[in-house]
Amino acid sequence: MKTGIKNDFTLMAILLIPVCVAINMVGFQIAQLLRLPIFLDSIGTLVIAMVAGPWVALVAGLITNLINSIFNPVYLPFSLVSMAVGLAAGFLSMKGMFKKVWKVIIAGIILAFVSTIIAAPITVILFGGVTGSTGGAITAVLLASGQQIWTAVFSTQFIQEIGDKLLSAFICFLIVRNMSDRYLSKLNYGQIYMKD
Amino acid sequence: MSQAAKTNYILNLYPTTKLLFTLFIALSVFIVPTYWYAYAMLPVCLIIAIAAGQGKEFITLVRNGLLILLVFIFLMQAFFYPGAQILWQAGILKITQEGILYGLNMTSRILAIGSAFILFFRITSVKDFVYSLEKLGLPPKGAYVVLATLQIIPEMKKQTSVIMDAQKTRGVETEGTMMVRAKAFLPTISPLILSSLASTEERAITLESRAFSAPVKKTHLYEIYKTKHDTVVRIGMLVALLILIAGRILL
Repeated sequence: MKTGIKNDFTLMAILLIPVCVAINMVGFQIAQLLRLPIFLDSIGTLVIAMVAGPWVALVAGLITNLINSIFNPVYLPFSLVSMAVGLAAGFLSMKGMFKKVWKVIIAGIILAFVSTIIAAPITVILFGGVTGSTGGAITAVLLASGQQIWTAVFSTQFIQEIGDKLLSAFICFLIVRNMSDRYLSKLNYGQIYMKD
Repeated sequence: MSQAAKTNYILNLYPTTKLLFTLFIALSVFIVPTYWYAYAMLPVCLIIAIAAGQGKEFITLVRNGLLILLVFIFLMQAFFYPGAQILWQAGILKITQEGILYGLNMTSRILAIGSAFILFFRITSVKDFVYSLEKLGLPPKGAYVVLATLQIIPEMKKQTSVIMDAQKTRGVETEGTMMVRAKAFLPTISPLILSSLASTEERAITLESRAFSAPVKKTHLYEIYKTKHDTVVRIGMLVALLILIAGRILL
């Protein structure tokens, strides 16, 4: 199948976007219901990145944040983070990084780095280092112990991201592995995960 | 928004006019140097929201989305912003004059832009907004994606609780230690994802049978128009912006 930004937006891929945006939000909601200390709000973006490619995932990440920011505008500048995570996950998947458990772990770490590198400057420049989540307390402790603001925010962000992205990547690995070949064959990047 | 609400002339403005107002506030707080001006944007937005009959929702969203964040940000700057004029000190913690000033400036701008943004979505329905974007060149497929997403989210939230109940009957525990709760995550989300992904195939067939991706010009069942109110509001904002810029340069 032809891939690339011009060919990736097939009807199937376009119809996947709303579903995956909803999965992002529902994932977050379930994590809240089960009172888990992580967000798990990028599962949809990762799934769509794996089966429909980086560019579709970028759009899915953008729409997730746009819709979240209807109710909380703080999400708006962080659209960049979701877009970058989608893009990075798509390219990692094309390199086969979601096919074996040890590769999934490396992919999770890379994704945590990507989102930290983009989220931390936004947090520092626009919000002075906090965004109201539980991470704010860690940042404050690090600052009080004499750390620079950048080091403090980068460390806080990475601590929060690493668990989240590792687990999300692993969950997506399990889910995509359970998709049928018949379904995967209809998607541009599905053949990476077909069984034979 | 109901048809009755449509007689309100704020709600009746064209979506991009309202968006320009949000951008006007966002720009103006960077033009006017005092934080009083930026803080004053909250009551301004509130008055507009009340005039449009959305006062209560507006206050709730500002309170839930911005208030705690702003308090956090202010304290963070007050305590940790580097400065020489120390107002209060206890051990390693100190409050500086510069920190308070910087905190006030930063929070006032976030509050102003944040509330302008919340106001925009209180007085504009997403349907109208997407329609106006489509007129500006957003492909119809993009418009479909945004509107379909808004429909699917509540549907999937409902489905989540159905799946959670079903898994509970099967013996999956959703209470207890963190490990137990974490283990319940996968059995909840994976049926949800697999079933909702499978339904995209049916949706594709349905849409295709209505010529969704046919390369023709699409028509609309629902249309909105600009009125002379829009022109007046737009010119008013332009004049106000010019006055603010002139004031900044002259003073």
